[in-house]
Amino acid sequence: MSDATHMTDPPPVADAPASGDAPVRAERDAMATLRRAQQLVSDAQAAIEEASRVVGQGGGAGPAGGAEARLAVAENERQELAGRLAEVEHQVGRLMTLYVATYQLHATLDPAEVQSTIAEIALNLIGAEQFVLLLIDDEDNGYEVRIMQGEADARWEQTERYTGGDPLVDAALADGGLRFGPTEESPALAVVPLRVQDLTVGALVILKLLDRKPAFVKEDHDLLDLLGAHAASAIFASRAYAKTARKLRTLENLIRLVNKG
Amino acid sequence: MGAELPEEARVNSVKNRKVLVVEDSRLIHKMYEVMLRPTTLLSAFNGHEGLDKLGQSPDVDLIILDINMPKMTGLVEFLERVKTTPAMAKIPVIIVSTEGKEEEVARGLQSGAVAYLRKPFQPEDLLKIINRIESKQTAA
Repeated sequence: MSDATHMTDPPPVADAPASGDAPVRAERDAMATLRRAQQLVSDAQAAIEEASRVVGQGGGAGPAGGAEARLAVAENERQELAGRLAEVEHQVGRLMTLYVATYQLHATLDPAEVQSTIAEIALNLIGAEQFVLLLIDDEDNGYEVRIMQGEADARWEQTERYTGGDPLVDAALADGGLRFGPTEESPALAVVPLRVQDLTVGALVILKLLDRKPAFVKEDHDLLDLLGAHAASAIFASRAYAKTARKLRTLENLIRLVNKG
Repeated sequence: MGAELPEEARVNSVKNRKVLVVEDSRLIHKMYEVMLRPTTLLSAFNGHEGLDKLGQSPDVDLIILDINMPKMTGLVEFLERVKTTPAMAKIPVIIVSTEGKEEEVARGLQSGAVAYLRKPFQPEDLLKIINRIESKQTAA
C-alpha cells in the first residue's frame, strides 16, 4: 500500500528541470519505483527463507506443518524421557530396599533381633506367607527350626530340628547354592542357604508366597541373594558376640568368687 | 499420550512435612526413613505411642498406619480417636496392610483413612499415593 502511495506521489526531485520535461520525470519515477519493487521482492525472499528456517524442514507443508512436526518430535522425546525417569526411579527404589535390608541386618548384635529381621524381610519385603528359618546348632552342627511363619507344610509342623528329607533343602545346605522349587519331592519355592566363609549357618525355606504374588520377581532375587550373604554374616557375628559376652560374664563371676575366697 | 510423566516433584512434596509412622517393624520404619528423607518422621511402634506422639505434635501432615498394631484394640479405635479430635481430624491417614486384612482395610477407609497400601510395596507406590493426596489438598 505504501508503494502505491509512493508511486502516485513521488518525492520531489531536487535537480529536475524547472519545466517542460514531464516524460523525463516520469521515467525517473518509474525507475525509482522499479528499484523499490526489486528491494521489496528481495526482502520478501529473505523473509520466506527465514520463516522456513525457523519452522523447520516443513517441505511443502508450510509453517504450520513444520511446527506440528516439531511438536511431534518434542512429544516423542518427552515420552522417552518419562519412561527413562520411571525406570531410574524404580532402580532407586530397588537399591533403597536392598540398602535398608542390609542396614537392618547389621544394626544389632542380638541373635534374636537378627532372626526377627530375617523374618521381617521375608514377610514384608519379599511377601512370603509361609517360611521356615533353619539355623545351625553349634553343639552338634544339626539344624534347628528357629522361626516358622504361617501354617507351614505338615512335614515342618511339630518339628524343632531339621533332620533332612527335603531334597531341595538338603542340597542347598550341602553345597550352599540357592535353590528354587517346587519340585515333585519338595514343596519349597526357594531355599536360601545362609553362608559365611564356606560355612552354611542356616537356611531360609520359603514355602508359600502371598496369594496376590504368583511368583518371585527380579527384585526378590536380589533380596534372596542379599539374605544369603548378609543374614549369614549377621547371624555369625551376633552369635560370636553373644558367646564372647557369655564367656566374659563367666570369667568375671569366677574372678569375683576367687577374690571372695 | 503414552507413558505418563512420573511425578518428579513428589519427593519435594513431602520435603518440609511432618509424617507420623505407626508401625511395629523396625525394618519398615527404616524403610520409611530412607524413602521419605528429608521429611521429619515421628516414629511410633504401637497405637498408644502413636496417639501420644500426635498429642505432642498435632501439626503432623500425614499418618502412615500399619493395621497390625500391638497394644491397641484395633485400627478403628486409633482412627476414630484421630478423626474425632478437632486438631487431628484433617490429617490424612494411609493404611498399610498385609494380605487377608481386606475387612479391616474397608473399615479403616470407612473410618476416615484416605488410601491404603499392601505390603510388600515398592517405594514409588507410597510416593505416588502421597503425591496424589498432596495434589488433592492443593486442588481443594
